[in-house]
Amino acid sequence: MKHHCKNPIWVLVLFLICSSFPLSAQEEEKEVLPLESKFKEPLTKVWFNTYGNIRISKRLFWVAQTHFRLQETESTPFVGQMAQIYNRHAIGYIYSKKFNVSLGGVLRLNFNTDEASVDRNLVPEWRIWHQYLFAMPLSSIMTYHRIRIEHRWSQGFEENSEYIFRNRWRYMFRLKVPLNSHKLEPKTFYVSPEAELIMQSGKEVVASPMEDLRLTTTLGYIVTPRLTFAAGLMYSQGQQLSNGGIYKQSWTLRFHMYFSPDFRKVKNKLPAIHFND
Amino acid sequence: MLVCTPLALQGQETLHYAGPLQVGKYKGEAGYDYKVMGKDTLLNGPFLMERSNLEALLENEDSSFLFSGTFKDHYPTGFWRFQFGEFQSNSQTQVIDYQYRVLVSGTQEEASGTLKKGRPDGSWTYTVNRIKDSEVEQTLFKSNIVFEDGIPQRSFRIENESSTLVGRFLRNGLAHDEWSLYVTDEVEAVESWFFNDGVLERIQSSENDETKAVQMSGNTMEQRKTINLDARYIKILQLQLPASDSLNVFERGMPKLLAENAQYYKKIDNILSELGESAFLPEFKVKVAHFPLNSLETVQLDSIKAHFGKSKIISESLLNSTQLNILKLSDEEALFLYSIVSAISENFLNPIEKVVDYHEQGILEFVTRDQLIRKLWPKGKPSTKIEVGKETNGVGSRKAFALPNAERFEFGGNTMSSIEQLAQYATFSLDSVQQLLNNKLTKEQRQQELIALEEELIVQSNGLNHLIDSVSNNVTGVNEDALLQIKAIADSSLSRYSAMEEVSTKFDYARELVDCYTQLKALTKAIAVLPTQWEEIQQKYQDGVWNPFTATVMNEEVKKRITGTYRKVLVPYFLKWVQSDLSCDNADELVLLMQGTYQRMIELRDEETSKLERKLRKEQDPKMVMQLFNIQHQVKEN
Repeated sequence: MKHHCKNPIWVLVLFLICSSFPLSAQEEEKEVLPLESKFKEPLTKVWFNTYGNIRISKRLFWVAQTHFRLQETESTPFVGQMAQIYNRHAIGYIYSKKFNVSLGGVLRLNFNTDEASVDRNLVPEWRIWHQYLFAMPLSSIMTYHRIRIEHRWSQGFEENSEYIFRNRWRYMFRLKVPLNSHKLEPKTFYVSPEAELIMQSGKEVVASPMEDLRLTTTLGYIVTPRLTFAAGLMYSQGQQLSNGGIYKQSWTLRFHMYFSPDFRKVKNKLPAIHFND
Repeated sequence: MLVCTPLALQGQETLHYAGPLQVGKYKGEAGYDYKVMGKDTLLNGPFLMERSNLEALLENEDSSFLFSGTFKDHYPTGFWRFQFGEFQSNSQTQVIDYQYRVLVSGTQEEASGTLKKGRPDGSWTYTVNRIKDSEVEQTLFKSNIVFEDGIPQRSFRIENESSTLVGRFLRNGLAHDEWSLYVTDEVEAVESWFFNDGVLERIQSSENDETKAVQMSGNTMEQRKTINLDARYIKILQLQLPASDSLNVFERGMPKLLAENAQYYKKIDNILSELGESAFLPEFKVKVAHFPLNSLETVQLDSIKAHFGKSKIISESLLNSTQLNILKLSDEEALFLYSIVSAISENFLNPIEKVVDYHEQGILEFVTRDQLIRKLWPKGKPSTKIEVGKETNGVGSRKAFALPNAERFEFGGNTMSSIEQLAQYATFSLDSVQQLLNNKLTKEQRQQELIALEEELIVQSNGLNHLIDSVSNNVTGVNEDALLQIKAIADSSLSRYSAMEEVSTKFDYARELVDCYTQLKALTKAIAVLPTQWEEIQQKYQDGVWNPFTATVMNEEVKKRITGTYRKVLVPYFLKWVQSDLSCDNADELVLLMQGTYQRMIELRDEETSKLERKLRKEQDPKMVMQLFNIQHQVKEN
């Protein structure tokens, strides 16, 4: 059992190491880097994210996420206008209580937030993503390591602009600390600090491998095992693709709804807990 | 019979069996020849059966035996030998001439002689020896009798360690002439029985140089019958002997030796009869006077037996009644009646019991009725007026009991009819006494019971109050009110009881109350456990659900509509019942209902209930809910 458990991790680690070589090979600069790194003024954003995990069999679930991401504009500061709509889907496999994987696709709708732009207002972006989630209990706290790899095809808002291909390498560490209970259970508030580093690679990525570093703290409430609400504040910074010397910054208010319906018949559900039986 | 005899082939040929065999209580290895005739297996030829166990001997002790002889057409015939040994060893062995020897101690019985068609024929010797270290130490018993075709002949000799009996027979086996018993350290015969052609004429016995002789009634006109000289004969002699004679020869001496001999012969007969056809008996014959029972007497004896049986039951039940034995200490009349029963038992029943026994043993026909009655009632028959009580020097009182129709009973005349009258009178008297006593006892019993009942009532009442006090610490609000209501009902019932005056209604109500308190206790407990039960139900109505976002299993409340209905409809209904409608009559019903409800709640967790949950959505009526829950108790309309 243990032996099996280790396998996917090693494969992943190897994969990560190997695919980091092309990164260092590309050192040809396009833009002139400033002498000192330059931090742009932080943007404010508001995200409304829904996360659906729909159980379809003892070990399989369907991941269905829809995110609405708004970004400040001059006319509507703070809340801003719609920037992206995410449609993220995948099929997940529960390997054990401590490990699950998902594989699926994303259709992201990018809205042009540049009010001065005369280009297209809406362009699609396509992704294939896979994710490896490790969960470990630590006393009453749960800790999570999430590795997510995305292969994305994106394009600019200009007419007839070409799709560019990039890989994204994401690692996130997260805690969930129950506040009013000794464990995560219904009617529990929890606080969830997290840190995620998003690296990228691809032909277009020359001096800006660090796409984003996100530091978030969320306060959540577990209504039932099938429904949780959370809200939090995220600070993020990352290199601009076009110039690695320029760093974007943002403050994001995030609102989340997690739901996990289970439409299976009762007799198929049991035993829900014992994955290893 | 022959448990191990295998099914053999038809035909006349002789077959052989060798293997284990059980004969009566003897289990051992046997070898014998037999033939099959039709469906019967007939022993025919040599027979040997034995058992001995060296291991058992060395360990503790061993019972060995050996039977050997010959059968002819299933009859033991020819020379036979029987050995029975009970041996212990000292567990020491010697090797002598290539043989291991173990010295044994114990007793060895040995019988040998010739049989003819299963009957002893010729000389038979039966010896019992005490063995010490494999040598005869003492002869405990020895009998030597010569038979001809099963009939003892000429003279015989039976001896044990202390005495020797010598006697002789006529050719037809009848005892004849003088039979003498010698004691080892006396020269002269100590006891002599003089027979003439089987009829005992005189018994002479000497003890301490004093010779006593008893002339047996030798009326030659009497009808005589030839019977075996056995225990029955001795009893007949005892009865025939005049009451005045204190000859105690019957418990010892000659009869004892004869009985001992008969017992050994019986042992052999049991074995031989089990194997084949035989009649191995000493068959000593004597003649006794015979007074056959006529048909009227037979009928009377049946009646005596029936009356005696009935009387015995009554007298024993009364004499052994603990209640009566206690009552007689305080109640003079009870004491009087008890004494009457005791007197009847002694003066009527004990002698009549003997008559019944003698009849069963076939002895009555050898004794004249007059002799019998004189023997049974040496001081004369009792009167119909049964007197009890002490009177010494004119002090004290004697009371008498007699049936009202006593003059109809006639005890006179020493006939079977008078014994029947006595038996009847005893039965009727006991019947009447029993009735008198029963009335007394019932009244007394009720009084005692009421006292006991009241005691129990107090215990129950205290117990209930105690219980309510102890559990009310752990409950709150409505539950506590319900408990207080139970207390109020218990208290008011007790007040009502103490206000009652009529004993019989009091009695009934006390009984009801004891029941009621038991039920109120049960109800108190049922209410006290409600909070615990609710916790248990909540625990039970949880389901582990996998939460993919936390990657943990979380308990989820399930079937909330059922638990909700239980908490919001059923439990309040029970508590309301206690507070408004509770009575002694319906407390048990409520307890059952509460228990049933909890039981169903536990069951419903695992049942398919989606339909039920839908129906519950609109249902608030507790009775309907219970119906939907299918709670196994019929709710009484109240």
